[in-house]
Amino acid sequence: MSPLAFALRGLVRQPGRAILGIAGIAATGALLFDMLMLSQGLVVSMEQLLASVGFDIRVTATQATPLTGPPIVGMADTVATLAALPAIEEVVPLRLGEAQVDIGGRSREVTFMGADAAVRRPWTLLEGRDIDQRQDTGQPRLLVNQNLARRLELAPGATVTLRGACTANSSVPPTVFRVDGIAEFPFDQASQLTAIATLRDFARACGDAPADGADQADLLMIASRPGDGPTAAVEAIRSVRPDLAAVTNEELVARFQQVEFSYFRQISFVLATITMFFGLLLITVLLSVSTNQRLGEIAALRALGFSRRRMASDVLWRSALLVGAGGAVALPLGLALATWLDALLQTMPGIPANLRFFVFAPRALIVYVALLAVTITVAAIYPMRTVARLPISSTLRTEVIG
Amino acid sequence: MLITRQLATAKGLSVGDIVSLASTPDGNSPRRFRVAGIYEPVPDPMRLAAKRLEARLHLPDLLSLAADSSDPLSAESVTAINVALTDPADADAFARDVSAKIPIAQLTARAAQGGEGTATVFVVLDRFHFAIAVVTVIASTMFLLALMVMLVEERRETVGILRLIGLRKSRILLQVFAEGLLIAAAGAIVGILFAAALQGAVNAFFQWRYDTALIFVRITPQIAWRCVLLAVPLGVLASVVSSWTLLRSNVLDLARR
Amino acid sequence: MRPATGVGAFPIVEAREITRVFPMPAGPVTAVHGVSLRINPAEYVAIWGPSGCGKSTLLHILGCVDIPSSGSLLFENRDVGALPDADRSDMRLRKIGFVFQRFFLLPMLTAWENVELPQAEARIARDERRSRTAELLAYVGLAHRAHHRPSQLSGGEMQRVAIARALANRPVLLLADEPTGELDRATGEQIAELFDRVQRDGTAVVIVTHDQAIASRAGRTLVMRDGRIEREGTAG
Repeated sequence: MSPLAFALRGLVRQPGRAILGIAGIAATGALLFDMLMLSQGLVVSMEQLLASVGFDIRVTATQATPLTGPPIVGMADTVATLAALPAIEEVVPLRLGEAQVDIGGRSREVTFMGADAAVRRPWTLLEGRDIDQRQDTGQPRLLVNQNLARRLELAPGATVTLRGACTANSSVPPTVFRVDGIAEFPFDQASQLTAIATLRDFARACGDAPADGADQADLLMIASRPGDGPTAAVEAIRSVRPDLAAVTNEELVARFQQVEFSYFRQISFVLATITMFFGLLLITVLLSVSTNQRLGEIAALRALGFSRRRMASDVLWRSALLVGAGGAVALPLGLALATWLDALLQTMPGIPANLRFFVFAPRALIVYVALLAVTITVAAIYPMRTVARLPISSTLRTEVIG
Repeated sequence: MLITRQLATAKGLSVGDIVSLASTPDGNSPRRFRVAGIYEPVPDPMRLAAKRLEARLHLPDLLSLAADSSDPLSAESVTAINVALTDPADADAFARDVSAKIPIAQLTARAAQGGEGTATVFVVLDRFHFAIAVVTVIASTMFLLALMVMLVEERRETVGILRLIGLRKSRILLQVFAEGLLIAAAGAIVGILFAAALQGAVNAFFQWRYDTALIFVRITPQIAWRCVLLAVPLGVLASVVSSWTLLRSNVLDLARR
Repeated sequence: MRPATGVGAFPIVEAREITRVFPMPAGPVTAVHGVSLRINPAEYVAIWGPSGCGKSTLLHILGCVDIPSSGSLLFENRDVGALPDADRSDMRLRKIGFVFQRFFLLPMLTAWENVELPQAEARIARDERRSRTAELLAYVGLAHRAHHRPSQLSGGEMQRVAIARALANRPVLLLADEPTGELDRATGEQIAELFDRVQRDGTAVVIVTHDQAIASRAGRTLVMRDGRIEREGTAG
């Protein structure tokens, strides 16, 4: 009988006990796996989200995040200068603000943006037609997100009245927009109301004087040419406009990792460590108690000629079977748990609906398997030592005496 | 001006130093200020990872520094007005009253206890941590049951002999219950002491990591009681249930070696 | 059931002035005191004495399970004390068979698997294991219970399986520690007859017992008292 088969028979001998042990390991393993997914989940998800938008560089006036720092002035010249760079394929200026809309007699806040996009757009049109700054039809035009469309029962062709609250000008009258289409904005939160217009219509709604408001942007979204890549594009931007702050998606994610996502990385590390310690301790106790209950049997086998190494390896195989089985069951359990925890955390304000906290990545699985291997080995050390050092004669004597 | 401890450390500043402040990135029209003091910023969990590089100026100084020369009202504009009430319990009612009386739609008054967004963040985090705790308790219970089944098995022969002598199942279960209660209570107390030690370590780690005075883990008497009220019944239940399965066996099977 | 190695001119086991002292909290206890003896091939020896006289300790030393505190033990002319633990384990596996008072069968294995286990450990080929296991179970009269687990066997049947297991690798020496201690008289008789047969078939047998009836079946009886061999001859 092979050592594996022998260990398996030993575990199966008392199935209830084995099942309970495996269930405990599965629950602990699920938590550990989830913490490993959480440690990089936000970063991976953010990378995927940024990549899906289609722009790989963001430019602001300063290092401050958009709306907390000054806008880019002389926007038109800036856009023209940057668009002319060989490494850059497209530049889309964006203005960010807020508006108020009446829903059911109450004023609701709407995320209101202005953008002049040519080919690429940082949104996806779902219904109707897109806004186009090259067409001036007189009446301001708007795209709304599905939440806003649903709340106001809007369809392409309908009108909606917005009161811009984007600047210090508090006396701007409301503006009636024609809804050209319904779009999806990748960074929208779950219940967010969003609308976007051309820069001209945005400025009109915000009551900006043509001299200042219309020629500024809070953010430039830039797509680099595929052959050059974002790093080369950023270098080119810095060479012509060193006063601007340009960051690639990669740098932006790194910044998020250091600041906004920091808490979840740290908590996942702390919880993973505690879970490992807790699991290791419990599995060691389980194996040790189980071994202590078999000392007579082990002494008899040693007397029959089974070597120390053989008996110690039996303990290691039992550890491998228990932890391996529990660890395997933990994977689907962990994925289900992650879905629940993710839905829970998604309700946090300020989190884009498309951003995930728990993302399955091969690295998480590799680290998980490595940690299981460590657990198998470390948990078996003490009971293996007990078995290897077992005094055969006195143990047999003790067993007879009872 | 006053500066935060973090700013003082980052820029190597101390009380009495003279610094130049400007409100534009190009540093135009700077004004000089003397560092009058260094303060510890109030820990803000919403800005946990942000470097607290902050300064406080007298309002007229800030307004004159940051005013927009093209806007005649900018020297009269503030971001918020903080109000301290005689009775803080009136905050919500006061906020509603003021909001109704201010005719400007963009102006709102709200009670300063975090606000709706902050409360939601902590409610969500609370639920998240609670979910983790639930999973941990489930895993612990599985392990506990497995261990209790094993430990009870060791007493198989003793229980069989007691039954042969004539002790009733209920008598043996009572003993098991008493033992389980003692062990579970002792375990719960040790667990809380261990958690208290861990609390210090976790707080020290995060306070170092984020350079903050924020408390991240706090074991209150309510939390300790909640843990005891969960752990003790679970421990007792595990020992009683595993003993009960043993007691259901035939007496001779129990006593036989 | 011939043992694997041929009967040689030298004794299988030779103990020379062996002593075994156990350190105890209340002071050292000498369980075996200066014992010298020889066990020859195919010999049947009983070690008889009252409880606590050191019989089991002496048996464990003869079976290379324990090391004497002083003196020497030669097994097939090799000094056991000089051997590393792995070599002693191998010796027990291939040369010595053990039968215990409490049987110590593995409860999760069938009778067949219990008997086959030491052969697998000794890396005997599968076909040979199968035929040997069938032969052994038939030898002890339990071919019809081969696929029963120990919990389904009576005490006597379990002990017979234990004897079959002890003979699995054709040992030259079979050691039994109070093999009838947990059995009734009639069953004990059956087991004793089985040991007689094993010895007649060429395996040296050493039985530790406090049962005079069992001891009287041996060709040689060593009477032990207080850790020493008091006399050689008949029990009682």
